[in-house]
Amino acid sequence: MALFPVTGRYIGDHIPHLVAADTDDTMDELAAMVARHSVGKKVPVPPGGPVYDVYIGGRRIDPGVTLGALGLSPMAWVDVVPRGAEAP
Amino acid sequence: MLLNRDDWYETSRDLDWTFSYVDPNEVFPASWSGAGDVPADAWQDWEEPFRVSYRDYVRIQREKEGGVKAVGNALSRAGVFEKLDPAHLASAHLHLGGTCMVEQMAITMQSRFCRFAPTPKWRNLGVFGMLDETRHAQLDLRFAHELLKVDPRFDWTLKAFHTNEWGIRAVKAFFDDIMLNADCVEAALAVSLTVEHGFTNMQFVALAADAMAAGDINWSNLLSSIQTDEARHAQQGFPTLAVLMEHDPERAQQAIDVAFWRSTRLFQTLTGPAMDYYTPLEQRKMSFKEFMLEWIVNHHERILEDYGLKKPWYWDDFLRSLETAHHSMHLGMWWYRPTLFFKPNAGVSPAEREWLREKYPTWERDFGYIWDQIIANVQAGDVPATLPETLPVLCNVTHLPIGGACAPHELAEHKSEYKGKVYRFDSHISKWCFDVDPERYADHPTVVDRFLAGDIQPMDLPGALAWMGITPDVMGDDVYDYAWAREYVNA
Repeated sequence: MALFPVTGRYIGDHIPHLVAADTDDTMDELAAMVARHSVGKKVPVPPGGPVYDVYIGGRRIDPGVTLGALGLSPMAWVDVVPRGAEAP
Repeated sequence: MLLNRDDWYETSRDLDWTFSYVDPNEVFPASWSGAGDVPADAWQDWEEPFRVSYRDYVRIQREKEGGVKAVGNALSRAGVFEKLDPAHLASAHLHLGGTCMVEQMAITMQSRFCRFAPTPKWRNLGVFGMLDETRHAQLDLRFAHELLKVDPRFDWTLKAFHTNEWGIRAVKAFFDDIMLNADCVEAALAVSLTVEHGFTNMQFVALAADAMAAGDINWSNLLSSIQTDEARHAQQGFPTLAVLMEHDPERAQQAIDVAFWRSTRLFQTLTGPAMDYYTPLEQRKMSFKEFMLEWIVNHHERILEDYGLKKPWYWDDFLRSLETAHHSMHLGMWWYRPTLFFKPNAGVSPAEREWLREKYPTWERDFGYIWDQIIANVQAGDVPATLPETLPVLCNVTHLPIGGACAPHELAEHKSEYKGKVYRFDSHISKWCFDVDPERYADHPTVVDRFLAGDIQPMDLPGALAWMGITPDVMGDDVYDYAWAREYVNA
C-alpha cells in the first residue's frame, strides 16, 4: 500500500487531473477517483450510471486488477470511459 | 562649425576599437555574445533602420512621457476608473501582473546587448532599449500604484513575480530562459524578433484598442505609448536574423521555431482570454484568432519569409490551435479561479456564446457541452461543483496545463524520457522543443512536480493556494457572480 499519483483523464474533459491513487486501488476504484473530477462537473453523467472502464496505453484493464500490479511509473496516463464505451 | 547629424552619426554609433593586449574572445565571450561560428567581420553588415541619437531619443521620450502623465492625471480626477466594466479590469490585472516584471527582466537583457553584443551598432541601440524597458517597468508601476487605493489586486503588478502563482511561474519560466539566461543572439531572435515584433503587437495594439473601447483611456494610452518603444527596439531582431541566415541558418530556424511556439502558448493564456472573454461583448474589436491571423500570419511570418526563413514545421497545428487552445486555457483558468489573483469573466452568456460560435465554428462542439454542465450546476445552486478539488497536470516546457493546447477530442499523451525521468507535454510541439534541447527544461520543476516532491504542505488545494501566495483579498471568483448562467433559464 503506497501513494501512487496518476495523470487521470476522463474522456470528454478538456484536461487530465493529478489523481492521488494508491497501489492497492483496483481499476474500478481508480476509475471512480478519476471520474470524480469530471463527471457531473464538466461532462454529463453517463446514461448507464457511474460505472467505468480504465484504459492504459490503449488497452482496457480488467476492473479487478490493482494499480500496483501493473508496473507503471508514477504519473502514468490513465484514460477513463463509461463502461462499454468506445476505446479512447 | 557644428557638424550635421549625418556627418557624425556613423562615427558615433559605430565607434569601436581593436584589442591589442586582450583576447577579443575574453572581452566578448561567445557564451554571452552568442556569436558562435559567425565570422567577426560578418557583424559589420548588422544594420538597423531607426538610427536614433541620444538627443533625439530624449526629446521624443520626454514628449511621450508628458502625454501619458497628462492623460493619467486628467482621468484620475474624472474618476474614470471607477466606472469601468469589472470584466475588463481582469485584463488590466492579468496584463500588469504578467508583464511588469518581464519589462524589468528586459532591462537586464538589453544591458547584456549594451555590453556583449558582437557589433557596436547593436550595443548602441541596446542602450535605448534598456532605457525603454526601464520606462515601461516604471510606467506600469506608476499606473498600478495610482489604482491601489481602489483595488488591492493592482499590488500584484509588483508582487506577482515574487510569488509561486502557477500562471506567473509559466510566464517566468519562459522569460527567465530567453531574457535572463540567453546569449545576445538567441535573445534577439527569441525576444526582439519573435516576442516583441511578432507578439507584443497583439498584446499592446489589440488590448489598447479594446481598452479604449471599454472606456479605459488611461490604460489604452499607456499601452500605446509603450508599443511605440517596442516597435523601435524590436528592430534588433531583424539584422541579427539577417547575419544568422547568411552564416548559420539552421540555428536561426530552430531558435525561432521554439520561441514562436512558446510565445504562442503564453499569448493563448494571457491575451486570448482577455480579448475573447474579459472584454465586454459590445466593445470587442476583433477576435483573438482574427488578430493573430492579421498580425502573426499576414504580417510577421511574411517578413520572416523575406529573410529566407521557413514557416515553423508545425505551422498547420499552430493554425488549428488558434481555434481551440485559448478557449481551453480560458475554461481552465475560470475553473481554477481561486488560483488567480483577478476575477475572470466566464464570458459565455447566451449573447457571448453566439459571438463565440460565429467567430469559432467548432467552439460549440469542442467546449459547449462542458459549459452546459457548468451552467446546469450553477442553476441548481451547486457552485461547489464548479470548483476544482485537485491540480491539473502541467507541461514541462510551457508549465501550462496539459489539455490547454487543443480541443478535448484532440487531447493525447506526449512524453519523453531523459536521464531516467519522464517529462510530460501539452503538445507534440512542446515535446519537440524539449527533445531538441532537454537540458534547458529538465531541471525546472513545474508546480505539480514541486507538489509531488513534498515542497507544498499541506498536500492539498488550500496548501497549494497558500504556497502560491493567493490571499482572500485577491483570490479570483466569477466576476459577475454567475449572472450569465442564470440568463439561460429564460433563454
